Amino acid sequence: MASIFKAILDWLLSLFWKEEMELTLVGLQNSGKTTLVNVIASGQFTEDMIPTVGFNMRKVTKGNVTMKLWDIGGQPRFRSMWERYCRGVNAIVFVIDAADHAKLDQARAELWSLLEKPQLANIPVLVLGNKNDLEEALTVDQLIEAMNLHAITSREVACYSISAKNQVNIDVTLKWLIKHSSSSSSSALVS
Amino acid sequence: MSWKKDEDSDELGALLNLDHSAVLQEARIFNQTPIRPRQSRLLLAKIVFLLYRGDSIPTIDATNLFFSITKLFQCKDMSLRQMVYLTIKELSTVSEDVIMVTSSLMKDMQPKSEITYRANAIRALCKIVDPSMLPGIERLLKAAIVEKLPSIASAALVSSIHLFTDAKDVVRRWGNEASEALNGKALSMGPSFFSGSANQNQVVSTSNIVQYHAIGLLYAIRQHDRMAVLKLVQTFSGQNKSGGWMSGPSPTLRSNMAHVMLIRYAVRVMENDPSLLPQLCTLLQEWMSHSSDMVSLEAARAVCQLKDVDSRPLTQAVGVLQMFLGSPRATARFAAIRTLNTLARTHPEAVQPCNVDMENLITDKNRSVATFAITTLLKTGNEASVDRLMKQMQGFMAEISDEFKIIVAEAVRSLCRKFPGKHSLFLSFLSGVLRDEGGYEFKRSAIEAIIDLAKNVPECKETALAHLCEFIEDCEFTKLSVRVLYFLGEEGPLTAKPTIYIRHIYNRVVLENAVVRAAAVNALAKFGASSAADPSLQRSVRVLLKRCLDDRDDEVRDRSAWALRMMDNEKTKDKYVRDDSTFALAVLERKLVEYCADPAASLKGKFSFESVPRISRAQEEESRNQARLENMDAVLTGTTISAPSSTRPIGAGISEAIETPGTPMSPGVSGSGFMDEFEQQARYASQLNAIPEIAAFGDQPLVSSRKPVDLTEAETEYVVRCIKHVYDGHIVFQFDVTNTIPEQVLEQIEVAMEPEEDIDGVLEPVVVVPIPELKCNQPGTAYVAFARADTETFPSVSFACTLKFIVKECDPATGEPEEGDDGFEDEYSLEATDLGAGDFMQSTYIPDSHSLWEVLGQDAEAIETFALANFDGIEECITKVNDLLGMSPLDGALKPKSKAAHQAVFTGKWMGRVKTVARTRMTYQKGAGVTMELAVRSEDQGVSELMVAAIA
Repeated sequence: MASIFKAILDWLLSLFWKEEMELTLVGLQNSGKTTLVNVIASGQFTEDMIPTVGFNMRKVTKGNVTMKLWDIGGQPRFRSMWERYCRGVNAIVFVIDAADHAKLDQARAELWSLLEKPQLANIPVLVLGNKNDLEEALTVDQLIEAMNLHAITSREVACYSISAKNQVNIDVTLKWLIKHSSSSSSSALVS
Repeated sequence: MSWKKDEDSDELGALLNLDHSAVLQEARIFNQTPIRPRQSRLLLAKIVFLLYRGDSIPTIDATNLFFSITKLFQCKDMSLRQMVYLTIKELSTVSEDVIMVTSSLMKDMQPKSEITYRANAIRALCKIVDPSMLPGIERLLKAAIVEKLPSIASAALVSSIHLFTDAKDVVRRWGNEASEALNGKALSMGPSFFSGSANQNQVVSTSNIVQYHAIGLLYAIRQHDRMAVLKLVQTFSGQNKSGGWMSGPSPTLRSNMAHVMLIRYAVRVMENDPSLLPQLCTLLQEWMSHSSDMVSLEAARAVCQLKDVDSRPLTQAVGVLQMFLGSPRATARFAAIRTLNTLARTHPEAVQPCNVDMENLITDKNRSVATFAITTLLKTGNEASVDRLMKQMQGFMAEISDEFKIIVAEAVRSLCRKFPGKHSLFLSFLSGVLRDEGGYEFKRSAIEAIIDLAKNVPECKETALAHLCEFIEDCEFTKLSVRVLYFLGEEGPLTAKPTIYIRHIYNRVVLENAVVRAAAVNALAKFGASSAADPSLQRSVRVLLKRCLDDRDDEVRDRSAWALRMMDNEKTKDKYVRDDSTFALAVLERKLVEYCADPAASLKGKFSFESVPRISRAQEEESRNQARLENMDAVLTGTTISAPSSTRPIGAGISEAIETPGTPMSPGVSGSGFMDEFEQQARYASQLNAIPEIAAFGDQPLVSSRKPVDLTEAETEYVVRCIKHVYDGHIVFQFDVTNTIPEQVLEQIEVAMEPEEDIDGVLEPVVVVPIPELKCNQPGTAYVAFARADTETFPSVSFACTLKFIVKECDPATGEPEEGDDGFEDEYSLEATDLGAGDFMQSTYIPDSHSLWEVLGQDAEAIETFALANFDGIEECITKVNDLLGMSPLDGALKPKSKAAHQAVFTGKWMGRVKTVARTRMTYQKGAGVTMELAVRSEDQGVSELMVAAIA
């Protein structure tokens, strides 16, 4: 009964407070960006994906918020173009394969070089450690350490450990994103 | 409402003086949220307009623009999306990183996407994809090719044809899909089809464009496989009704354009393999009675263009074309008459039955048709009808374009040759058209026609010259004036009253610009130096030339001073004015360009005329004629004429364009004319100089073989040709090697040469240049060089040659050797190479060989008589002698007029320096063979003896 009531309330709210937001998903290849977009959009997990050549664009409506998701390919040839798609978005989502220890250094380098771009100053960043269903995956704290996130002071940063496969922490992620839709409310570093 | 109108008119005005920087500024609206579809679409239209207009956008701006446009993929507005596809296609060549939209386009071409999106996305995708990405989209494209919806299938097929140029090996794998698309209807006609697809079947049957595109792709893939193309042709011939390898009814071509292409492919198969001619000719005959005009016209045209065609199919083809001459559609009439016109050049008698129909076309309201009709009639008609035709032609000369006027002029020119008796008629016609308005090309062809007439019909020479004189009185084209003045200088002195022409020529000196004046001075000089000139005439010319000494222009003054000097001296007169040889102009031009382009050249010394070969004027004339005929062929086969042509469907050029790069280069094969020979030698020289070891032997070889000698049989695994180059102290053997096995890559290819006699102290092997790698059908060149230890001996040796190489297996599609394959060594024995006296002789024309013969005298002569029993005819013998001597045959030397006796003269320069003349007389008696006397005179007695010994 309560859930029906809540659904109606959501719908009513969406009529009055319809909001739009733009997000860009970046990260090294095979970290699970496109998969994550699919999970957010349709709740379905697909095992084998082909590498994204260029970008995918998806529109997702959650509650009263419409999210435009720019999912950019992670292969080296596309990394120079990440910046173009990050300009002016509400938040940048940086996805990391937490189970692939060998690529962590590379991921950190790419993340830091992206955040150094003057055009992207002050845009909030959400770092997601994907694939936490795998045994060797890093925990949140290990990830923060590996990415040296504590050193970021000039902008808002958050970090979650998620699993697109088992849909772990997807709701937290969405909540964080929606919170940043238009008027970014105060939020501290999540540790 | 009024504001909207304002906005519209604003847009129109804005389009006319659109500036790309303003448009780029506006492009910011693409980044706005939410997207405004209408504004964005209009802006995209402006961008496309700019690109179509030919504006160039800098790469950085284009890239920025492109990335802004990618933002529009979030909007679902269909017309906006279509505009986005269009703009991406246009930007694909300007912007960087266009592969960024690959994923988005792939999404749009998925089966679940909108139909409109799918076809457009395929076309855009193929523009932006690079060959390395192709395997990723291969599956989607293959599915699209066999798609039932014609728009999608043809989008995929056309895109594949474009992709084929860059990614042959990938596209080649799509042959099955292409043939499925080609036979599409036959597959879906099966009775077991469920009712749900009935609707789509109808769509398929209304549009046959898919077949047209499918046959194009299929041919592109299989063009080098003659059997496969033949099979393709036969599939649609309706001949394999009995079943055979295909089950079910034989497929039919529903698209007429596809059928036209099929006919063209059939013709190409025949060209490559004449043995198939009878079989395919029957097919063409069947197709001539096809219900579609397009197909039957094309079939008839194909028959008319065949080289050795029987009279029966030809008669049928002409019959078909005759029918079309009466067609109410101008395009059909045009196609028919143009084909007949071309045919009339080779088989005028075959076209004669159409004469009556063509006469009706002279008054056709389409001038292009009328022009072709009249020029065809001029070729097929008899002397009696010429008068009438010429009169009719004069009637409409003013109404046709210059291109057609040129065709008319050419027709009249060939007619002059045919009916010399009518010369006065032609001359008055030509001089008449010269008075009319016309462009340079047209005037030139009319002038050339008159000159031709004057040369070949002696009776009308004076009238022709008079017409030419009249023409230059009022000629706006400097080049033509110069041409006419030159001709007057050549022919004028030999006429009865040269003074008339002198007056006309001197008028030019008074009235014209410097270039014409200079030409006029030269012409005057020829009058003065002519042997026919009497002293009073010479005096007058001298007076005129002296006046020219005061000319404003340097060149004119120089020429007149030179002319006056030259006239005083009998010897120089002979050398400059009565000379019957000329430089090989193409070579001269190239050498001069090279000389001017090389900054160090002037330091090395002045330009050397010695290195430019000389040819006789007759040869020069011949090559000019050849070039003219080829040029005319190009005009007549429709490459330059912009007239309507129904026989050329859109996209017909695609496969032709693709085909050309595939044809393997065949050095020396096309070297039929002597000009080509010179060009070929120059190419050899630059190839040789690219190799440092060989370049050290000298600037360029003194003597290079005229023709490459085949060291292998035709159609063997490896094709090897040998060319010999002689330097002062060295001899270089050049081997052009071609590998014809697609499954093999050869490496470290070299030719081993074993002398069959002892050459110690005469020739020492010095350099062997191998070919590093040789893929299938990519010719490579290996060299073997010998030093001549004793430059006074000219050895005559035979070498046994063996090709040595390492074989590696490779993938025929890519030509890359398989990894880890070390290959194995192999040998291939070649035919022996001979080195003889003829190889040291440079084949060159020497002017006035007769007086040279006398000057050299008996002292320098070597003479011998040979009884050659093994020759069966003079022609065979003279060809062999020509090969052995390696000298330049004079006019008619190789074409014996009688079967019993023949005389021939050859000229050449030994080692490119010593002038040599050879005379041979031969008689032939059946049973006894040929008896030949060979006499050689040379500036060096030793050479004469060597040359005579070469025959023995």
